[in-house]
Amino acid sequence: MVDTTTRFFEDLDRRGFEPLLAKTSGTLRFDLHEGPHTTHWVLEIDHGSLRVRQADGEADTVVGTEPRLFAELVGGEENAIAALLRGDMTVMGDLRLVLQVERVFPGPPDSRGPHHTFSGRGA
Amino acid sequence: MPGNNTVRILDGNTFVVSEDTGDIEATPNEPTGLFSLDTRYLSKWVLTVNGERLNALSYDDLQYYEARFFLVPGMATHYVDAKLSIIRERAVGGSFRETLTILNHDEKAVDLQIRMDAGSDFADLFQVKDEILNKKGEHYAEAESDRLRLGYRRGNFRRETIVSADQPARYDQRGFAWSIRLEPNEQWDAVIDVQTFAIGPGGRDLRMGLRAHGTERLALQHDLEEWISRAPKVNSEHDRVAATYRRSLVDLAALRFSPLSLGGQTLPAAGLPWFMTMFGRDSILTCLQVLPFAPEMSKTTLRILAALQGTRFDDFRDEDPGRILHEMRYGETAAFEEQPHSPYYGSVDATPLFVVLLDEYERWSGDGALVKELERECRAALKWIDDYADLLGNGYIWYERRNTDTGLENQCWKDSWDSISYADGTLPPFPRATCEVQGYAYDAKVRAARMAREFWGDPAYADQLERGAAELKRRFNNDWWVADRGFYALALDPDGRQCEVLSSNIGHLLWSGIVDDERAPTIAEHLVGSRLWSGWGVRTLAEGEVRYNPIGYHNGTIWPFDNSFVAWGLRRYGFAEEAATVANGILDAATYFDGRLPEAFGGYRRELTKFPVEYPTACSPQAWSTGAPLLLLRSMLGLEPHEQHLAVDPRLPVGMGRIEVLDIPGRWGRVDAFARGRIDLEELAD
Repeated sequence: MVDTTTRFFEDLDRRGFEPLLAKTSGTLRFDLHEGPHTTHWVLEIDHGSLRVRQADGEADTVVGTEPRLFAELVGGEENAIAALLRGDMTVMGDLRLVLQVERVFPGPPDSRGPHHTFSGRGA
Repeated sequence: MPGNNTVRILDGNTFVVSEDTGDIEATPNEPTGLFSLDTRYLSKWVLTVNGERLNALSYDDLQYYEARFFLVPGMATHYVDAKLSIIRERAVGGSFRETLTILNHDEKAVDLQIRMDAGSDFADLFQVKDEILNKKGEHYAEAESDRLRLGYRRGNFRRETIVSADQPARYDQRGFAWSIRLEPNEQWDAVIDVQTFAIGPGGRDLRMGLRAHGTERLALQHDLEEWISRAPKVNSEHDRVAATYRRSLVDLAALRFSPLSLGGQTLPAAGLPWFMTMFGRDSILTCLQVLPFAPEMSKTTLRILAALQGTRFDDFRDEDPGRILHEMRYGETAAFEEQPHSPYYGSVDATPLFVVLLDEYERWSGDGALVKELERECRAALKWIDDYADLLGNGYIWYERRNTDTGLENQCWKDSWDSISYADGTLPPFPRATCEVQGYAYDAKVRAARMAREFWGDPAYADQLERGAAELKRRFNNDWWVADRGFYALALDPDGRQCEVLSSNIGHLLWSGIVDDERAPTIAEHLVGSRLWSGWGVRTLAEGEVRYNPIGYHNGTIWPFDNSFVAWGLRRYGFAEEAATVANGILDAATYFDGRLPEAFGGYRRELTKFPVEYPTACSPQAWSTGAPLLLLRSMLGLEPHEQHLAVDPRLPVGMGRIEVLDIPGRWGRVDAFARGRIDLEELAD
């Protein structure tokens, strides 16, 4: 069974291009710390083209969180900007990259969006 | 709110609000303090000499980032015979720095105990007006040999204040002190440094390497001088116009704000001190106001708002794909999601206004590259208007918050709870649709059509947008027109019932161009008629409406920003005299506030009060009040970009005398505009 985080990165890699990141270029490394163990994911963005590697390495931005929180971020249960302000997620390097990649994360699973009432009434 | 004798200095979103002695003793009624990142880092900062509080002789706020206080020992008496002078000089620029100077005027030597009590409650900006009782984290204070460390910790959320001084002091958990001896005519100085930290688990500050400009005093001064020298010069026969312009320009500099994510670029924050943050609506409207004078602000504002445009449904944040943000905050309540500002998206006008600003900016600057760069975001914004904002599927922008705990009920600029009502004063149910937002949507479509044709190479999309705009205009003029009273309804309820009240919003409709030509004269008449026009400005709500109150926040007060868009709208439809009337009234009012227009003032008749009665408000200067005189100048001078040149068609009132605006930047390079007052407003009033 593949966990949420792996699925998220595999999906990005498969997608190959993300229009929301078309103006973004740079390399992010996600360090998921659990006790002495750290899992690394590297995301390379080149004007929206994406490449994912599960490896350590140089990056413009290094994001650090616990694996559980990260799974909740990429699952939409938690919000990355709030996590950053709380100190539950740390960022070293170019913060802008994180704020752009964060927009690719889904919204909360229980969010329904606008309450459309196509009643045909109204004006 | 702080009383009138508080002193405020700032740099970006670091600011100090203190008493006129320089002391800080925060209470819910006097929310003074040192603030940064929407957090209070000092709530106590009290200087004593030999155990005595100090009395203010005078203070100077030298620049927006520095102030100086002249003090003597003892509380105020009618006769001060001081043998000591104490000068506190302070500046913010990243950190907060205070220089203490003590002078002994006595013929004898004196021994002095100098003490600063220091403490912090680390209140979130949203909490400063409340009694702060139940902070969920823990406070700590650590006295070290060379510094005092004040801190607050809640999980990984940590904020710290570190106080140190260049003169060795004795630090304890409640402050620090010096014992000194001063010979006759001797002087003693100490420099105190207060640094604010937002620390992550790695011990690294959230804001590292993210400053707007140099944080040193000299760098700030240089930055301000450069800002002023880059802007056009305004000369006027009567000094008031030029003086108001200069005041606005300096305040605009103070209101520049560099969000964490922008890497040092700045956009206008909403207001000082409580709204030193990004607001979609306020930042966009301010950019529109100041385009002829400070066009670069528009570029950075558009870029940052585009970079943070909504991408998903998030009901807590009222976020939708394509929606432009309302407000961003950095404090504890945002971090722990007790408030939704990370960021919050609950406004319905920022999104169409984003498109409007991009087009207007290009018409002035010729920066087609930015129009191309932001094509995707513009299309997403237009899709939001048609798909997500049209809650009833009838072609209008509606709002109904999904965050029912902490979201905003009214998501238009008049966002207080009672601002939208029926003629009988009762409040309509949700969703609601306000008129001016439909105007913005119309304007956004018309302007986007131009951009699609000229820059995006998509004439089919342009045609579609134009058809949509024309259809919207036709239906709007049918559904919102209150035939027997001759104006547009303020809002519609979900059953299509009109809120038949006369409001300033109809002026925004002129600005957007959605008003049918044959109805425009009636609208112009209302705007300068006795029910809306007070003599100083156009009231938010007309006299005679049930909820009218001359000091009702959105129900009768006069907002300078609102009036500046009304004047622009009047001018757009050819009502130059009426536009000049509005401009003249507001600029007259500005002289009563030393050129710094408040957020709002009372809707009382001018002949009744003789001077504009300020609405007791939290923020001054406020960005869109600061921008108002600039847009009024534009409207009076009839500045309008046409292809590669700037058209000037001045219509000034007689009393305004001669005005010249030199070096107006744009696609034409730099040009000058000259005008002389010729309109007799007295005649118009008859």
